[in-house]
Amino acid sequence: YLHVALLFWQQVILCHCTLDDLRVDGRSCEDYRYVEVETDVVSNTSGSARVKLGHTDILVGIKAEIGRPKLDRPNKGCLEFFVDCSANATPEFEGRGGEELGTEIANALYRVYDNERSVDLKSLCITPMEHCWILYTDVLLLQCDGNLFDAISLAIKAALLTPSKIPKVQMMEDEEGTTEIELSDDPFDCVRLNTENVPCIVTLCKIGQRHVVDATLQEKACSVASLLVSVTSKGTITCVRKIGGGSLDPESIYEMIETGKRVGKALHAPLQDILNKEESLGKSREKVGFIG
Amino acid sequence: MAGIELLSDQGYRVDGRKPNELRKIQARMGVFSQADGSAYIEQGNTKALAVVYGPHEIRGSRSKSQHDRAIINCQYSMATFSTGERKRRPHGDRKSSEMTLHLKQTFEAAILTQLYPRSQIDIYVQILQADGGNYSACVNAATLAVVDAGIPLRDYVCACSAGFVEDTPLVDLSHLEESAGGTQLSLAVLPKAEHLALIEMDSRLHQDHLESMMDAATQACKDLYAVLDRVVRDHLQEVTTSIGE
Amino acid sequence: MPVDTKRLRGPEESQSPWLFVEQEQQSPPDEREDGRRKGQVDVRPIFARCGLVSQAKGSAYIESGKTKVICSVYGPRETERKDETDMKFGRLVCTFRFAPFSCAKRCGWIQSTQEKDLSMALLGSLHPGLCLHRYPRSQIDVSVLVLENDGSALAHAVTCASLALADAGIEMYDLVLGCSLRQEGSDYLLDPTFAEETQEPATESTENRGGMMVALLPSLNQVSGLLCSGDLEQQPLVEAVAACIEGCQRIYSVAQRCLLTAVKKKNPPPDG
Repeated sequence: YLHVALLFWQQVILCHCTLDDLRVDGRSCEDYRYVEVETDVVSNTSGSARVKLGHTDILVGIKAEIGRPKLDRPNKGCLEFFVDCSANATPEFEGRGGEELGTEIANALYRVYDNERSVDLKSLCITPMEHCWILYTDVLLLQCDGNLFDAISLAIKAALLTPSKIPKVQMMEDEEGTTEIELSDDPFDCVRLNTENVPCIVTLCKIGQRHVVDATLQEKACSVASLLVSVTSKGTITCVRKIGGGSLDPESIYEMIETGKRVGKALHAPLQDILNKEESLGKSREKVGFIG
Repeated sequence: MAGIELLSDQGYRVDGRKPNELRKIQARMGVFSQADGSAYIEQGNTKALAVVYGPHEIRGSRSKSQHDRAIINCQYSMATFSTGERKRRPHGDRKSSEMTLHLKQTFEAAILTQLYPRSQIDIYVQILQADGGNYSACVNAATLAVVDAGIPLRDYVCACSAGFVEDTPLVDLSHLEESAGGTQLSLAVLPKAEHLALIEMDSRLHQDHLESMMDAATQACKDLYAVLDRVVRDHLQEVTTSIGE
Repeated sequence: MPVDTKRLRGPEESQSPWLFVEQEQQSPPDEREDGRRKGQVDVRPIFARCGLVSQAKGSAYIESGKTKVICSVYGPRETERKDETDMKFGRLVCTFRFAPFSCAKRCGWIQSTQEKDLSMALLGSLHPGLCLHRYPRSQIDVSVLVLENDGSALAHAVTCASLALADAGIEMYDLVLGCSLRQEGSDYLLDPTFAEETQEPATESTENRGGMMVALLPSLNQVSGLLCSGDLEQQPLVEAVAACIEGCQRIYSVAQRCLLTAVKKKNPPPDG
């Protein structure tokens, strides 16, 4: 699926166009395709979102479950990632075909969100060393049309941002000294995560002498290597990773980090606006989902 | 039974439906552009996606190829967040393998496979949210997707589940009704000819009741047929007008 | 998750002893524990040798501080999987493993997700350095085993693997050298030890902390691998990349000398 066969002359045209800051679909080098975001698509999750970026279609569902904190972080909750490359996207993913790509993406996601600031993991701890909330973040790939990482990160941020339904819990101690976890009776009594610093990923593809964001499959086929940069709304960079088979010279890496930071920082405000608007509509919002 | 009254004295079910009433159905064809055919269906809170690729050349070993008909290849998977408690794997467990097999058998009965010798048709279904009647939602979604892909069918395949409580057959069970135990019948019907594509029943039921339960389920499938047909016609209308512009 | 059934599991209420190990908290202002200085391109001395594993086509061993990495290369041989992409280019397969005894905590025999991730990073770093078009329809296996992990394991694994590939006589554009770095506030620690990699910050401030690994093709001056996670501003990040590149250049001569020795040993110069 990632291998799109392009004829040589098509590649030449694509590279030359890019040189003049004009891409095959009319965008400039730093333009994203049209993005659609909808939250709360699957009602039995703590938070869910669907993102469409071009033809790339991602569904993310987050479930909060109580588990044990990790050994090296006894007083923090954790995020677990799972990426299901479903056969919906391409028949090649049937059976175990999508597993390799799935673990690759999941591992990259662990690195992107593995820092103190992006999600306040301390607030997910219930009792140190014993109980914490584990946020199972499950990504479902429904259709691939390039730039999976960016779309996934947008969907994760949107899903985390929806009034995440993590119920408030209290520790109750009975006479014998054993503790019990008590869930709040009121289903609307929820903890809300601070998602201000959840990063967004910007993948930059180097094509010829220039780099572009949000590459389509055709553009990706022409690029030697790409750089994944994840940026928070304040402009801090939480992860940089080279992906793809080629190499990059140091100068272009510095340039790509700069562009990545600029584009990534600008990505947060519109997303936040959309989500705020969606939330303010509350129950009156008409859910579109896959219908319509 | 955990003390839940599945059927009230007034003859209403837990979610307020009558015994022979289906849940609200919403569906859409042509959800994805890259696949040959795709459809999405919501039956109450059960949400399913189906995608069809093909008919195309056989992938993998050629020995599977049939000289006189196409082979149907299915995969049933459930999103890890679809159930109340998180699932660890989307597919590959025993239950989804069984479901895959059922789907394959159902569609082998309905698709005119002899029109495509030596080829393969892939049907992939995905449950996004599970709230009972997963099999029927999948079959209905897959029917729409196959229609969307333009693959000739003998007839629509409509599937519905049925249960039996207090001498009354209930159709289109929700998760709550399913998990209460008791008899459960899954039926896939080609409604015009009233051919059965698949029938499966768990647990025991007195023989006398079987007929009433079958009748109720068949009637429900026919009701479903009307809904699916409406969806297909609306979709065609939409597509033709957009071409006309 | 596969459970190790051969080991006794504690009672349900028990806690792992690792929770009670006190972390040493002492970091003198600009001196590191092993006497190196913060904020300077100061790599640990490296010992490298090629050709230890006689059965492999090529092999290499690297020791840097207490970190010890061994790598062997097998192939090129016929591919197991036959895809169309293999027809033109050779396939590179990398496996990165920690030996069970290599870390403070025992590592399992089954490849963990962390090891899988590092294998991918290793593959990405080595790939640009190899002339894979010279090996159509074939497969080259690189397996790296970390014998002792005292920080910067991935960086040394990259260097070690490229030495082993060169030792195996696989055609390459350039050697691939790796260097890692740990950013702590405004200071960076080059080639960090395990303790430096994992230590909790002395202060509560979480600004500018992170780890990084850079793989470099030294004579072409191309970065073939970059892996960074943490919480960094743009300026320190760029400086850190530059420091890593310089660190890689520092070990270039060691790597070259190691290869030269190996070649001389294999083909001794005719006497007199």
